[in-house]
Amino acid sequence: MKKRGCGIGSMWYGIGNTGLPNPSGAFVQVLDDCTVIIHTGCADIGQGSTTVLAQIAAEELGVNFNDISVICADTGVTPDAGKTSASRQTYISGNAVRKAAQSAKETIFKKGAELLQVPEEELILKNYQLNSLKNYNIQISLKEIMAKCREDGTLVIGHGWFNPQTKGLDKRGQGIPYATYAFATQWVEVEVDTETGEIDILNVVAAHDVGKAVNPMAVEGQIEGGSVMGAGYALMEEIILDDGKIINSSFSNYLIPTIKDVPCVNSIIVEEEEVTGPFGAKGVGEPALIPTATAIANAISNALGIRFYELPITPEKILNSLKTANNTNKNQRDF
Amino acid sequence: MSHKVIGCSVEQINGSKKVTGKSKFTDDLKMQGMLIAKVLRSNIPHARIKKIDISIAEKIPGVIAVLTAKDIQGENSVGIIIKDEPVLTDEKIRRIGEPIALIAAETEEQADMALAAIDVKLEEIQGVFDPEEALQPSATLVHKGGNLLVHKKLRRGDAETAFKEAIVTAESNYITQMVEHAYIEPEAGIAYCDQDKVILLVSTQDPHYDREEIARVLGIGQHKVRVIQQPTGGGFGGKLDISVQCHVALLARATGRPVKLTYTRQESIIASPKRHPYKIYYKSAAGEDGKLLGVKVKIICDTGAYASYGPAVVTRALVHATGPYSIPNVHVDAYGVFTNNPVCGAMRGFGVPQMAFAHESQMDILAEKLNISPWEIRRRNFLTPGAITGTGQKLGQSVGILETLNKVQSYVKEQGWGN
Repeated sequence: MKKRGCGIGSMWYGIGNTGLPNPSGAFVQVLDDCTVIIHTGCADIGQGSTTVLAQIAAEELGVNFNDISVICADTGVTPDAGKTSASRQTYISGNAVRKAAQSAKETIFKKGAELLQVPEEELILKNYQLNSLKNYNIQISLKEIMAKCREDGTLVIGHGWFNPQTKGLDKRGQGIPYATYAFATQWVEVEVDTETGEIDILNVVAAHDVGKAVNPMAVEGQIEGGSVMGAGYALMEEIILDDGKIINSSFSNYLIPTIKDVPCVNSIIVEEEEVTGPFGAKGVGEPALIPTATAIANAISNALGIRFYELPITPEKILNSLKTANNTNKNQRDF
Repeated sequence: MSHKVIGCSVEQINGSKKVTGKSKFTDDLKMQGMLIAKVLRSNIPHARIKKIDISIAEKIPGVIAVLTAKDIQGENSVGIIIKDEPVLTDEKIRRIGEPIALIAAETEEQADMALAAIDVKLEEIQGVFDPEEALQPSATLVHKGGNLLVHKKLRRGDAETAFKEAIVTAESNYITQMVEHAYIEPEAGIAYCDQDKVILLVSTQDPHYDREEIARVLGIGQHKVRVIQQPTGGGFGGKLDISVQCHVALLARATGRPVKLTYTRQESIIASPKRHPYKIYYKSAAGEDGKLLGVKVKIICDTGAYASYGPAVVTRALVHATGPYSIPNVHVDAYGVFTNNPVCGAMRGFGVPQMAFAHESQMDILAEKLNISPWEIRRRNFLTPGAITGTGQKLGQSVGILETLNKVQSYVKEQGWGN
């Protein structure tokens, strides 16, 4: 018999290291032809930080995304950006890159103000053009400013770094461990086969508060990938040890989800902008995974009326629990 | 304010190279005169090393270098928080997979032959494999300082009184398993020397940390080490610790030639850090209105043979133990414990997926007892902008937890899903 059930999992997750400094640095150079090079220590491990950092610099400098080039994660030429961990790179390195871009922009504004004979505060940089906010006819192209900078020997180079504002935890665990938190709720519907113990994940709905999605498709990619990883954690993945020895050290006996196990993941992006984040962004890398397993466990419990207190919830465990529940019911009837 | 680039799904830089298989990962790279490295690892979990004999291995044709702990000129230790893990051990083995010797050879076959020819004399020690047993006074010690790596406390309000005043309580024990990151690309690195500099091409999540450790182990300045991250086929936290970095750097310095080390999948699973398995003892108390009054939680984290990210994972679990809820009375104890199991370190979620399994099961159990829906109990307890967390932090405005639940519920309703 097949039984259906649904479950919810909610979570919070602090962005960055827990109550400890974890700064990130970046360099931004604007070249004579108005293209831009970013130097950042940030290691892109497939999550897309290189793209996100380029987007942040492009937005700040008012140039096209394709005019940005990123050199990353080379200790010979890039500043330390800390680890690609703790869901921190968009928030922390994003801020570092934005600050570096702002610092390069200061030179552009200074030169522009000088050439246009207006105060810097009056200027706005957009579409490769510096305009006066008061009089739109007062304008100069970025290219012209770069040429003037070159003429008088000024280089347009900015650097920036960012460290989130935290306060270490005291002996009672009191303090400010993180400057900001990501939040999420996921809902899962499962179908459990009571004959075989097999579990099918029918639907996943995953809503994540990421502050601001710098790249919505990349955020969805994280949510989908995280949900699949969470499904593996809930249902199949387990290192089995025998006196410290891993007895399933290959993919033939350490099972991870395959394409056939991947459920339909419906991603919903919630944007409660974080004032200290770059353009309001927080993070999503780890939150994507966190609520899935527990939502699945709650859904199985909802389907069978049996709660599971141990992960992973394998078909064997389902069948054993059904057997125990059956026996208990029979005994209860007998009495 | 309207944005031009922020909020746009621009194509991933290097995305098309990855999906068309054109990206060059570390193991795809070849250099002239490059040697192949292998690592001799322990296959028993707890022992004292009596003797390492490399004399036969060294004589195998094609074997250029065989290194042991005595060949390390700098410090023989690595570790992100505590430098407690030997680069090559020559005294004590604390886990299966612990590195003992390094080989650099012309071919993989020659390196494998040399591995088999190294003779290690050991004296086995009784191991300890359960973290709660490891905390008993009679337990075998994994490290001299004792098996308790860390005990972190979170105290807010008065949990005891909250339980006395509660209308409903729920008390359960949860167990979570050890898991592997299973990134698609196993650990890989190439090291070579350029005059007095050592250059590394490596699959990593933090080249600057790698640089720091390599410099310490080689006994040279950080400015003489350059680490260049290569396209990295996933990490999920598993490529934060040192894996191949110090080993290839030592071999490149010893041989003067480029050296490559790529783990096999089996070696990757055996040697790399894992997600911490937890035992969680969780008690929740709620009032008639379904509002949480207090929680009392004890968490035992098996960190395995070395600290790795253990202390940080334990602290994160402590802070996140409440879940995204306003709870006035919180009492949490989190323990990180050494055993002779594989090392547990950082893995996507950093100790929080384990806690979520516990606090979200508790919410459903309480909802059932109070006869309210799982949606409703969460809604009544969520953190809100300006709320105070278990650590006494006043939250800012960016607290979208209620909105995530509302959005999910409307979506499910629109689709007509669920029961």
